[in-house]
Amino acid sequence: GDSWGIFAFLCAALCNLPAVPALNGTEELGAGQSIQKTYDLTRYLEHQLRTLAGTYLNYLGPPFNEPDFNPPRLARAEQVPSATVDLDLWRGLTDNARLAANYRAYSRLLCYLRGLDGQAGTAELRHRLGHFCSSLQGLVVSIAGVMSSLGYPLPAGPAGPPLPPGAPAAPNDFLKKMDDFWLLKELQTWLWRSAKDFNRLKKKVPPAVVTLRLEARGF
Amino acid sequence: DSHIQYERVGADVTMKCGSMDWDAAVTWTANGTDIDDSHLNGSYLILKNVDLTQSGQYSCYEGSSWHLKYQTYLRVGTPPKEPVLMCRSNNYPKGFYCSWHLPSPTYIPNSFNISVIHGTREMVCEKDIFPKNRCHIRYLQLFSTVKYKVTLTVTNALGKNSTSLTFDEFAIVKPDPPESVVAKPVPNNPRRLEVAWQNPSSWPDPESFPLKFFLRYRPLILDQWQHVELSDGTSHTITDAYAGKEYIIQVAAKDNDIGTWSDWSVAVHATPWTEEPKHLTTEAQITETTSTSTSSFVPPPTTKICDKGAVVGSGAVAVCWTAGLVLAAYGVLFI
Repeated sequence: GDSWGIFAFLCAALCNLPAVPALNGTEELGAGQSIQKTYDLTRYLEHQLRTLAGTYLNYLGPPFNEPDFNPPRLARAEQVPSATVDLDLWRGLTDNARLAANYRAYSRLLCYLRGLDGQAGTAELRHRLGHFCSSLQGLVVSIAGVMSSLGYPLPAGPAGPPLPPGAPAAPNDFLKKMDDFWLLKELQTWLWRSAKDFNRLKKKVPPAVVTLRLEARGF
Repeated sequence: DSHIQYERVGADVTMKCGSMDWDAAVTWTANGTDIDDSHLNGSYLILKNVDLTQSGQYSCYEGSSWHLKYQTYLRVGTPPKEPVLMCRSNNYPKGFYCSWHLPSPTYIPNSFNISVIHGTREMVCEKDIFPKNRCHIRYLQLFSTVKYKVTLTVTNALGKNSTSLTFDEFAIVKPDPPESVVAKPVPNNPRRLEVAWQNPSSWPDPESFPLKFFLRYRPLILDQWQHVELSDGTSHTITDAYAGKEYIIQVAAKDNDIGTWSDWSVAVHATPWTEEPKHLTTEAQITETTSTSTSSFVPPPTTKICDKGAVVGSGAVAVCWTAGLVLAAYGVLFI
C-alpha cells in the first residue's frame, strides 16, 4: 500500500506548480481586488470542504466520522502544515510572511490531498476530491498572483521544506486513516485562518497603493 | 457542642443528645420550640422522611437542669443534579468564557470546580467576581485544530455531579448583539427609515475580525419580518416602509466567517416621515375668505393642475375633477 513517508518525499521532489504567468492583465485589477478574489476563494473552498470532508470521513467509518472524535496528535501528523499560531505572532506577521505562510501551506496540503485521490472509495468521491484539488490549486495560483502584484518573491524550491526521506510509513490501515483525518482537519482550519489573513491584507493594501507602485515601475 | 448537619430530603434522621445515655431524660427543641415526645426514642430524636421545612437549629437539654447538652444546625437538601454548562467566545480572538448553573436548587451550599484541557495542556479558567458562576480564559494559540474540553464538577455535602463540553475554537464564537441601535425617519421621504448601530463593545478587533450584520424590521401591525443581510458598514436605509406606520427594528451580528449569530439587539421603534397636515387648515381659511368676498362665479386661473384651495371645497370643484382623479390614482400607487 501507499506509505506516508515515501509519498511525502515524492511530494517534496515532484510537486511542481505551474509558473505564474506574467500578470499584465491582473495588474490592472490591483492587488486590492486580487486579495478580495483570494478571500472569496477561501470561503468557497471552506464551504466545499464541509460537505466533502463529511463524505470522506463517512467513507473512513467510525470513529473518524463521529463528531466528538478528539484524538491526540501523533508525531507523524506534524508533517502536515498546521495553521495554529501564537496570537501575538500572527498579529505581527508582515504582509509578505503572511502570504508566504499561506502559499507554502496550501502547496503542501494540495500535494497530500492529491494522494487521497487514488484510494478513495467510490468513483463519485474520487471525482469530487479531484474537483476540490483543482479549486485548491486555483487558490495557490491566486495567492501567488497577489504576492507577485505586491512585488514579493514566491517562496523558493519545491512545495515546502524537504521532508526526511526516512519518514515513517503508516504501518497499518488505522494509522493511514488517522493521517487522512488530520489532513482534512488542518485543511479546514487553514481555510478559516486564511479568511482572517486575507481580511487583514484587504485592510492594509487598498488598490490605490498598487497603482502608485505600477506608475513608479513605468507601466 | 454545636455543628452543622446535612441530610437528604426524604431521609430518616436520628440525633443523639451528645454523650447522654440512651435512657436519659432530655428535652429537644427545634428553633426554640419544644418537640413532642412522640418523636423521641429514648433520648434520641427521630425525624422521619425529612423535608425542607425541618431545617433549623435543634437543641437538646438535660431533663431537670435544663443544661444545654447538644446543639446542631440541620440543613435539609439534595445532592447536586447534573449542572448546565455553556461556553462562548464573544471577544474572539482574545479568548472565551464559560458559565454554569444548577437546573434545580440543592438548598445547601455548593462548590464548583472547573477544568479546561487543550490537547495535553491544562489551562486555568479565571473565575469572575461578577457574575458568579462564570470564568474566562485567554487563548494562547489561534487557529487550533485541537479541541477544548471543559469539565465542571459541582460538590456539596450530600454528593457531587459533573458535566463536560468539548468544542473547537471556532464553534463557540458568538458576538454580543450590536449596540446603540438608532432608527430615524428621513425628511421628505415617507417610505424610508435610516438605521444605524455600533459594533458590540466586547468585540476587541473589528478591523481584523470584521462583523457582518442581519437587520430585521416590520410594522407593529404585521407579524411577518423583513430581513436584510449586510456584510459591510454599520448603517442601512430601509426604502420600502409603509407610509405612516410605526416600525420595530432589530439588528444581529456575526463574525464574517466563523461561529453563530448573536442574539437580537434591543428593539427600536420608528415611524417614517409624514407630511405635516398644517396645509389643509390654511387652505380652508383662504377658501372661506374668497367665497365671502365674491358673489359670482369666478373662473379659475388657466392652470392645468388645480390649486389645493380649489380642490378642498369651493364652487370650482367640477373643473378640477380630472386633477382629483390623477391625484387619487397617485395616492393608490403609493400605499
